[in-house]
Amino acid sequence: MKSFLTNLTLNKKLGLLLFVLGFFALFAGSPYKGSGVTLDAKELAAIVQTETDHVSAEELAGWIIGGKSDYRLVDLRSEVEFAQYHIPGAENIQITSLPDYGLLRNEKIVLYSEGGIHSAQAWFLLKAKDFKGVYMLRGGLEDWKDLILFPRLPANASPDQRAAFEKTKEVSKFFGGTPQSGLSDEAPSVALAMPKLETPAPAAASAGAPVKKKKEGC
Amino acid sequence: MNAPFFKFGLFGDNVSLIMAFLIGIGFGFFLERAGFGSARKLTAQFYLTDLSVFKVMFSAIVTAMVGLFYLSWIGFVDLSLVYATPTFIVPQVIGGLLLGFGFVIGGYCPGTSAVAAATGRIDGMVYLAGIIAGLVAFGEAFPMVKDFYYATPMGQVTLPELLHLPYGLVVFLVVLMAIGGFAGATWVEKSMAVKKGTLRA
Repeated sequence: MKSFLTNLTLNKKLGLLLFVLGFFALFAGSPYKGSGVTLDAKELAAIVQTETDHVSAEELAGWIIGGKSDYRLVDLRSEVEFAQYHIPGAENIQITSLPDYGLLRNEKIVLYSEGGIHSAQAWFLLKAKDFKGVYMLRGGLEDWKDLILFPRLPANASPDQRAAFEKTKEVSKFFGGTPQSGLSDEAPSVALAMPKLETPAPAAASAGAPVKKKKEGC
Repeated sequence: MNAPFFKFGLFGDNVSLIMAFLIGIGFGFFLERAGFGSARKLTAQFYLTDLSVFKVMFSAIVTAMVGLFYLSWIGFVDLSLVYATPTFIVPQVIGGLLLGFGFVIGGYCPGTSAVAAATGRIDGMVYLAGIIAGLVAFGEAFPMVKDFYYATPMGQVTLPELLHLPYGLVVFLVVLMAIGGFAGATWVEKSMAVKKGTLRA
């Protein structure tokens, strides 16, 4: 037996190894994980602690302006609310239909709701189904309104803050928002109008259209 | 730690580009070391005198297949996260034939032409320029061919799903195919050499 092996050329040895591995593959069973998923509580806790699962409103705005299309933006609010306003590129998925909606486990999914609670619950739901790339919009649509659509410059702002606000204004205008500068910290007297849905157009993903997956492979 | 690393967020978009660059350099280096920077070596495959291309490519395929199978079996790789190109069967068959014609006529495939150009071969550079011109032409003509491009979609389908066979059985069958292919290729090379009189039987 030993001399048989040593007499083989390297190619034949590799071929034999390949055959053995292939043969055992017959009995190894499916390499896909079953539907039963064991949650790693420590890992989840670590993600929550480090907030790596958060996407800030500014980041998301940057992605939309930059025409990034490697993520799916999911609006968890009701259809009525969605019809009134949604972040450009978002898809409306009710939380009850989320598990069967056909989101892929290798997609980058950004969830948002009005505040942050529903998206956090949906996040856990998807994590429990072993989705990997699930993110939440920090502060939900409320933060999106405060930081992107209707950003406010405090009356006693420093020059640095003023300079930064000029940039914020541009971002806000892109999404059809109304930046508030020079106002005091009290709530504005006029009710702010939500932008019309058609306004924030030019970025690669138009409102409501399914976001294309990033090109991969050769 | 689990793979695929990019999908698990081990590194971001920018680092992934650096990774792609490094892997590309490595790929090119080994193509050159295998002699695949030479159009003579590559086209010899179509005259059945040297089947290195077939052997190298099929080795790569079975190595990746067996590696992925066992790595995911022990739980290191999440196979459902590994990207599989969606299948559009008719356009892809026609595209494959086109690429094959180009390979026979030009003497290179896309990767090897880049290797040839990098080592200073003029035919490689001409071929690479042709690829870029073709890419631009395709990009410009895309609205016209779009319907055909997305025709006969089958989704991200794999052989075990398509054939309704157990995954391990498909692995075993492809392994048998590879070993048979290697033996057959060596036999073909030998008999061609005998025919040409460069080797005595």
